[in-house]
This record gives sequence, structure tokens and C-alpha cells, in this order.
Amino acid sequence: MRPEFNKPRRTAASNSSIPLVLMLLLSLDLQIEGGESSKSSKRPTEKHWAFAHPPRPAPPLVSNSQWSRNSIDRFILARLEKERMTPAVEGDRVTLARRLFLDLIGLPPTQSELDRFLRDKAPDAYERLVERLLESPHYGERWGRWWLDIARYADSNGYSIDAPRSIWPYRDWVVRALNGDLPFDEFVVSQLAGDMLPEATLEQKIATGFHRNTQINQEGGIDKEQFRIDSVFDRVGTTGTAFLGLTIACAQCHDHKFDPITQKEFYQLFAFFNNAEEPEMPLAPANQIDQAARIEAEVVSYIKDIPRKDPAIWNRMLAWEQSLTPAQRQAQTEQVRMAFDVQFPLRSEEKKLTALTAFIEQDASNKSHQSDISKKRRQKPAIETTMILRELPEPRDTRFFIKGDFTRPREPVKPGVPAVLHPFPTSAPPNRLGLARWLVSPENPLMARVTVNRVWQHYFGRGLVETENDFGTQGSLPTHPQLLDWLATEFVAKKWSLKSLHRLIACSSTYRQSSRARDELSAVDPYNRLLARQSRLRLDAEVVRDVGLSASGLLNRRLGGPPVFPPQPDGVMSLGQVKREWKTSAGEDRFRRGLYTFFFRATPHPSLSVFDAPDSFSTCTRRLRSNTPLQALTLLNDSGAYEFARELAARTLLEGGATDTQRLNYAFQRCVSRAPTANESEVLTALLKDELKELSSTPPKIQSIPGPNGLNATEFAAWTSIARVVLNLDETITRE
Amino acid sequence: MNIDDLAQLEPLKFETRRHFFSKCAIGLGGIALSSLLRGGSELSAAAAESSAASGLKRTHHRARAKNVIHLFMAGGPSQLELWDYKPKLVEYSGQPIPESMLKGKRFAFMDSSFKNRSTLLGTRRRFDRHGQSGAWVSELFPHMAARVDDITLVKSCATNLFNHAPAKLFMNTGSGQFGRPSMGSWVTYGIGSESRDLPGFVVLQSGPRGPRGGAVNWASGFLPTTYQGVPLRSTGEPILNLSTPGEVSETRQRRTIEAVRQLNLARLVETGDPEISTRIAAYEMAYRMQSSAPELIDISGESKATLGLYGIEDGKPSFARNCLLARRLVERGVRFVQLYHTNWDSHGGPGETLETDLEKVCHDVDQGCAALVQDLKARGLLDDTLVMWGGEFGRTPMGESREKTGRNHHVDAFTMWFAGGGVKSGAIVGETDELGFGAVNDRAHVHDLHATILHLLGLDHTKLTFRFQGRDFRLTDVEGDVILKMLA
Repeated sequence: MRPEFNKPRRTAASNSSIPLVLMLLLSLDLQIEGGESSKSSKRPTEKHWAFAHPPRPAPPLVSNSQWSRNSIDRFILARLEKERMTPAVEGDRVTLARRLFLDLIGLPPTQSELDRFLRDKAPDAYERLVERLLESPHYGERWGRWWLDIARYADSNGYSIDAPRSIWPYRDWVVRALNGDLPFDEFVVSQLAGDMLPEATLEQKIATGFHRNTQINQEGGIDKEQFRIDSVFDRVGTTGTAFLGLTIACAQCHDHKFDPITQKEFYQLFAFFNNAEEPEMPLAPANQIDQAARIEAEVVSYIKDIPRKDPAIWNRMLAWEQSLTPAQRQAQTEQVRMAFDVQFPLRSEEKKLTALTAFIEQDASNKSHQSDISKKRRQKPAIETTMILRELPEPRDTRFFIKGDFTRPREPVKPGVPAVLHPFPTSAPPNRLGLARWLVSPENPLMARVTVNRVWQHYFGRGLVETENDFGTQGSLPTHPQLLDWLATEFVAKKWSLKSLHRLIACSSTYRQSSRARDELSAVDPYNRLLARQSRLRLDAEVVRDVGLSASGLLNRRLGGPPVFPPQPDGVMSLGQVKREWKTSAGEDRFRRGLYTFFFRATPHPSLSVFDAPDSFSTCTRRLRSNTPLQALTLLNDSGAYEFARELAARTLLEGGATDTQRLNYAFQRCVSRAPTANESEVLTALLKDELKELSSTPPKIQSIPGPNGLNATEFAAWTSIARVVLNLDETITRE
Repeated sequence: MNIDDLAQLEPLKFETRRHFFSKCAIGLGGIALSSLLRGGSELSAAAAESSAASGLKRTHHRARAKNVIHLFMAGGPSQLELWDYKPKLVEYSGQPIPESMLKGKRFAFMDSSFKNRSTLLGTRRRFDRHGQSGAWVSELFPHMAARVDDITLVKSCATNLFNHAPAKLFMNTGSGQFGRPSMGSWVTYGIGSESRDLPGFVVLQSGPRGPRGGAVNWASGFLPTTYQGVPLRSTGEPILNLSTPGEVSETRQRRTIEAVRQLNLARLVETGDPEISTRIAAYEMAYRMQSSAPELIDISGESKATLGLYGIEDGKPSFARNCLLARRLVERGVRFVQLYHTNWDSHGGPGETLETDLEKVCHDVDQGCAALVQDLKARGLLDDTLVMWGGEFGRTPMGESREKTGRNHHVDAFTMWFAGGGVKSGAIVGETDELGFGAVNDRAHVHDLHATILHLLGLDHTKLTFRFQGRDFRLTDVEGDVILKMLA
């Protein structure tokens, strides 16, 4: 049998620095790969660590008991002591405050928030700051984005057509759920099967948007069933990655090459997800929904009535159809295109009406009809919708697909779970709700581990298991296996409270360490796996924006609602196959947090993607942190970034004090929360001097652009340069 | 005075950094330092991981090629209409496929579209022998026919995957899965770039739409993103946000960036985080790109003769213009240039016929390809520059009937050509059976091609590795043999 892909294999030559345990695993892999006959007989017989239920290890004893604040610290310190290493000093209070703000709510502290903390000399000032931040509604925004990465959330349908969609109520649900500290097990059940819960609430139905974040192909001529199946494939794969940390998707076409998951088991999981309808749910009281439907019905009868009074309308409509360019045709909805595709005499009444409606609504020759229709529609209540899952009364027939090819179905498959994991209870219903409850069962060896690991990764830049999306046999081993298990069991014991987990990590001494490089560690632990210090982490794409908004004072802190359209460079939208409209938001919506920026999958906002926001094509469990010239160009030249600089300059001149020194401190502090050092002040002062000199001696065009609020144009321009510098600092976009 | 000169005047600060890096003992830091000191453009890996193992910046053996231009014919050109002349296939055209040829083979849409319906399809294109080498070339490539003595045709190419996006990834990264670095990333990671002013790996696109899969084709995977391909846009600003805000003069921009550099440098010394040195280098590169990228795409200084050679019509984006830009990029020291041209997917449906559509796409590229080889040769650049042409796979000897005639995807045999950079001139490597189903000798699998390309660049494909998730990865995975017959 020829393998389909050349999956990675290890060679003896590449093993040199791999630990012994891994070497043993490797040799097993080699045996698996080397053989020709049945694979299952060659799988490792001993249970892989991650498939065994986590024990509850006791925090180890340590000699430096002073340093430990909680159990996390004892696990970390015990390992450091074993390696004869000592932890780093604690970060200074300003650094710690900014770190907590950025990690917990994704915004830097304002000056008054910072002062409040610095003035607070009580021994538990730090812990109380953690509490305040966990109670902030912005906590849900910050950590909501963490979850939306996993949920592959976006505001458009993807593929080549990439039409906008409305699913932001799901995004807001995530934010609300996290703010309310909805226990993680309920959080998961609502998202996977909220629609099937007894007496399901509106909120629980909205939550099922989780698995509606798959792409929808709206190209003409496609086989819809093919793409429906593709989205179910994605749901199975995402469920495996998100809740089990397993690469189950590998088993779509063949038995998993490394983990004990068979292709048949893939389709057993598929069967759970194969029975849902994919409707849009209106979000309004029933009477409003009725009213809206009534008005739409009136519009339909109005349009139906037109040919009776004006039979020539059909000819005009056909002429219009002929006149459309291919691009205009492509931009029509699929329904309209399908109507166009049928020759007029053969068109059903329904298709005729579809085409006529398009003509009436779009062509300028129908002005009076258009105004009649819009008069009617003005009475219509605006009803938001969101995409949900709804279980079919009768399950679909699920079959095993040979090589994962939907055109090659084989025998029927019943819902079931991989044999290597905990058993599916015989009493549970074999449906999505049963699966959701099976996932959150305390017997599940993976979900708590996988989740705490991903939370940990946000605080330290790397998970305890580095391969956060693969806890299978190919994944890396945990650096602190006992800590991982302790955290996982603690998470469950604390009733799956994410806020408790955040509190635990954020309050630990491990977290509070300074992130300075330590010479003595560079040889023994160059990648800081043992955590004898904190790490400097470049901020996430949305937070880079939020810091700019906050430093400039432009930030609009409003929560939730439909996505918004901040400025972006010209020409971005024409990169997609269908040119979508980007109508830049006016007023306060221009300055909303990055979380709310409309995300087109085909043409994402460049300042998000350049800072590694995920593409939302599939689940993302860890972002890259790249560092490129394109990021520099964005922070330097992007019109949005420049707007921040102008605003920061204006604010500095108006509110930053009377002297240059006060003003420099003010601007600097707004970006990095600390005052500049003498050396830093010197650089900025020199720049200010040079700028003022050039701007006032040469006759620059700048002087024709008056500063805001009657500010002196030259001075304003010079301070804009200062603002650009501080907004561009590495420190500004870094959590120290 | 530019930023680099300023840097030279600040020995004290550099001394501080030298001190820091020497104490730090992170191999990568050393690279970053040397790059900064030289003002070089290798934005060395920020992720310090594993750099010590393979952040080479020097070759394993003497390089034959310095640069690569990859002309990626996205969609899978039909070798049977272009390069691989099969008179027997013409003779048997319309007959069923010999069972022996199908045994154990897999094709795209295998069950759904053609297994029971399709028959052998002989080409309707006229082929002639050309040049000293006497290579058969189809009438669709008149310009390339005149250049056969400058190229090596490899007729026995083979790949593993038969759907577009995974197959493109495979051609680029040696794997059909996301997350592996592309060839251009491996090469710039391995030997850096000689361009001080432009990224080391640049991507240009033409044709009706972008290649399927998009940016993953030139992604750096687990390598630091410094090594990812940077696409140049064909209209408007070549790179988003390349221009300084309108009211900021050139001097003011430079001064701003210089202040950012000084403050970042102070922070680097304070924190010891090598990521900051990468950021400093990124700002320097960004600044230089602001003038170098517009200069690059401004072809008004090219002679009429040159524009005529390529067949460039004034100002319009086209494959031919991208070929000229490719030459300008390698002239400026850019290591790896990739040109994508769509659409070569000749299934026979609308826009995909072997009749008119193939003719059009051939016409799109023929003159540009030939001009590029000729121009590089005339300027003495071809010796150092490896030009490669090909798609992600080939097409079947069977026809496919949709509305008109086409061919399906074929992984077992297709043709690519290579020129310059240490490959033979006027040679043919590999041969397919008389119907064109598979190689009968010198099978050149994608892994072998990758091994050969790295070899020409002075890199041993078994030694260019990156440790990721506990394993040393290579472009060629655990496969690949250098195709000695291709080497001059």
C-alpha cells in the first residue's frame, strides 16, 4: 500500500538532542512507518500520558518557601532548585501593573488607574488589582478574543465570494459568558449543543454559533452537499483540536498515522455533527419579527403586481440582465444568478419574481418603485440575526467516506467516540448533546489539561505542553507534567471557573518575575522553558491597535454590537475576488477596540493580519509572533496609526503640562506607563529641537495645516513626530 | 547621512551591544549583531530557537547559483500540449486507456468524472524540433522554442498530491500540510540575502486571480516570519503603507526612525531581548524599502529594446512586466523571486479549455519567459541565477470532456524546465513512456528537485534543518536525491 502523503518521519541522525523518552517513542514510530501490514497491531501498547486521567499531584516541597505564593510556584521552584537555578526578582510595580492590565483586559492602565495602584500600599494591593481587572467588562473582550481564535470567528463567509455574514451576536455572547465566568463545562456544552438543552434559552441558541463559524462557499455551480460536508469535517477537526488537543482531522482520509484514532472513529464523530440544520435566527420579540415579515410580504406583492400594470417591464428586465457585466453578475446573490441561468420562457414564477425583484431594486430606471418600496421598508423594525445550529428531527444518513472523498460513501456509521478515550455513557443520547456532555465529563483526560495549557500559554508565551494543538503521541512532552495535572485538576475542582484559573496564575510569584534576560540562564535555559524569569511578549494584533487608541485617548470603550470599519489603506478590498464595500466608520465607531473590526476572511484588515491575527479559515490555538518590516511600515505610515500620533500630540500639548520635559513624560507615559530615563529624554528632546528647527526655518507645507484646537501648526507637527516615535517603540507594543 | 552611517559613528553603543551579545551567547544574537554592524539586510531570526543549529548564512559547498527565479505556472500546465511530444498518444487517441496504465494509479475526480468515460487524448498541437539539442517544442511556445539550447527540460517530474492547493504547497514546501516553510523561506534562512534594501524573498503575481491557497504558498511556516515571501502588489503602492504620511518630509521620517532606533537600542541593552534587535533591523529595512520598492517598480529607465524584448505594454501589470521585475530584483541582490501566473487548469470547462484558453495563457507567458532567460544571459546574470518553470503537477494522457476538451490532474509525469545557475544548457533529463503516463527513467520527484535546487545554491538538503517541536525538519523531509544529470 502506498502512503498518501509522506508524513514526517524521524531519522536516527536527527535524534541527537532528543530526550530518551522521546527516543523510545521515535523508535516506535519508525516501526510503525517501516511496516507494510496492518497498522493497528504496531501501535504503542502502553497508554500515552495524555490519554490517562490526570492524577492530583501534591505540590512539592521546596527549600525557598519564602518565594512561593501558591502551588504553581512550588512546582516551578522545585524544578528550578533541582537544576540549581533561582527565580528572577519580581518585576517593578509599574511593569507589573501594565502587565496585568494588558494580560487581563488587553488595555494599558490609564494614568489614574496606575496611580491608584501605586498609591495603594496595602500588602494585598496587587491581588485587589487582579480582582478589579477580572471584574472589568473589558476582561471579557480580551479573553473573548482568545476564544474567538479557537472558534475561527469572522464576519464573512470565506471562499472566493466572501460575502458578509451576521454572527457578531455569537461574539458578544462569548464576551458576556466570560465576563459572567460561565463555568467552562457549561460554556462548552452551550456552544456545541445549546439548541438541544431542555428549554434552551436564546443565549444558549446563540452560543451554537461556535460551529457556524465555518466557511460557506457561494460560488455558482458548486455541489452544495460537498461544502456542507466540508463544514462538518471542519467541525469534527475543530472539536478535536479545541477540546481534546488532538489532530483528529488527520483521520478523515485514513487511520491516524501516529495516534490511536481510526478513520472509522472519525466518521463516528462526524455522525454527531451531521444532523444539524444551519439557519439564521432573528433576534427580536415575536411581534417585531411578525411585523417585519408582514412588511416583506407587502413588498413581494407590490413587486408581483408591477407586471400586471406594466407588462413591458419584462422586456426592460431582460435588457437589463443582458447588460450586466460578468462582475456585476457575479455580485448577485446565488438565487438571482440561478434565476438568470434559466431562459425566460422556462423560468418558474418564483424565478421570474426573483429576477424581477433584483431588477426593480437595482436598476436606476425604477426610481419610483424603489422609493415606494423603501417607504414600506422604513416601517420595518431592524432585526438583527445570528447564525445557529438546529438539530434535525430525523438524523441524516452518515457513511464512511473512502479516502475522505464524499463521492465514495461506504457503510453507514453510527455516532461514537474514539476507543482510546473514556467511554461514551450507554445512558447518554447518541447525539450532539450527548457528545458535548461526554467532552466535559470529569473522566475526560484531555479537556482540562488542554484548556489550562492554552491559558498558561497566554501568560508565559509558551504552553507547559509546547504543542498546544497536539497532545497526541507526536506532541511535545510537558515541561512540568505535575504542574499541568495539578492545574487541570484544580480547574475542575474550582467548578471550571476560568476567572479562578486566571487569578491563580496572575497572583503567582512565577508570573510576577521580571522579564529581563539573565546572563547566567542563557546557556542552561535559553528558551526560558523552566521559567526562571518572565518573557517579553509582543502584543496581539488587536491589542496593538487598542494600545494606540488608548495612548492617543481616542479609544471608545463601548462593548459589543455589529462590527465596525476603521480606516484602512486603499485597495485592500480589491484584493478579493469580489470587491466588497468598506465604508469607513464615522464618529466613535472609528475608534472601537480591534476586537470589533469587521473581519473579511478574504481581505482582512491589513493592520490585523500584519501582526499575525489568525486568518479564521480554521481553528487557531496559538498565534505566531512575527517581527517584520511590514509591521514597521504599518506603525509608521498607516493612516490610522498616523491619526493616533496626531491625537496624542494634540493631547500632549493641551494636557501634558507647560514644559517640554513634562510633555515628553506625558506622551511617553501614555504609551509605556513609565517615565523616560535620562537617556531616553535626551533622545526625544534632541528630536524635538531638530523638528522645531526644520519646521520653522523651511517654509513647509505643514504650516498650511493648522493644528487642532488652535494649536500652533509648527509645534503641533513637531510633537506629532514625538508621538510617532513613542507609538512606534518596541516597548509600546510589548508586554514586558 | 543615512542610518547606517549614523550607526558607524556610534561605536560606544555598538560596543555595548557587542558586549551584550557576547555575554548572551545566543548564536542568533551574534548573527543579528553582525547583520546590524554590516548594515546587512538579513533580519536574523527573532525566535532564537535552533538557530545555532542551522542559521548558516554561508553555504555547505561552493554554490553554482546565487539567486532563484521560480516561474510558477499555477493550475498545472499540460506537458502533453507543450513539451512532451507523444506521437503514440495521437495514434491511439480516442481509444480506451490500457488497463495496465491505470493499475494502482489515482487521479483527481477519479470516480466522479472520468474513470468510465474517458479515453486517451492525443494532442492537437503541432510539435517541431528546435535548436542544437533538437528538443521537441509545441507551436504554443514560439519564443521558448528559440531558447531550448539555454535550458534543461526535465520531463520526468513527479509529485504526490493531485489537488491544486495541497499540490502547490507540496511544490513549495515539500509537504501538503500547512505550517511548513516554503523553498524561498528555507533558502533565505539558509544563506540570507544580499539585498540591503529589499526583502530576500519576493513574490509577484499575474493572471486572472491569485494562486489557490494564497499566502500559505510563500509562508515561512515554523521559520521566523522574517523569511516569509513578501508579495509586491501589481497596482497602486507595491507594498501597503509604503509611503510616508503626506505631511511628513523625507528628513523628518528619517529622523523619526532614527529616534525609534536609539530608544529601541536602549531598551535592548536594558532587557537583553534579542527580539528588539530584530525590530531595529525591521525598521531599518522598512525605511530602505520606502525608497527601494518604488525605485524597483519604476521601469521607465529600461530601454525600448528591453521593453520590446519582454513584450511589455506600457504600465500594464502583466506576467512579462513581472519577468522584468524579477530580473531587476535579482540585480538588487534579492535571493528568491517567485512569479505566479494563473490559470493553467485545463479541464475543458468554461475558461479551461485546451483549445482557446491554453493558447491564451501560453501567449501570456511565452515571450516573458524567453526574454527573461535571454536578458539574464546577455547581462551575465544567468550564470548566477537559476530560473525554473513549472506547475504543481501535470495533466493526464486521457482527455476529460466537460463542455470542451481538457485533461485532468496528473501527478506521475510532467515537465519543468531549468536555466542558468549551474544546470546544463540544451539538455533533456528524463523520459516518459510512449503514452506519457509515467517516467521510464530518471524520475524527478519534487523532493529530488528540491534537493537539486538547494545543491545548486551550495546547500546540502540533508543538513539544512530547523528544530521544531522536538524534531529536525528539512525541505526534503527524509527524501530527495540530487539529480546529477541536470548539473552542468
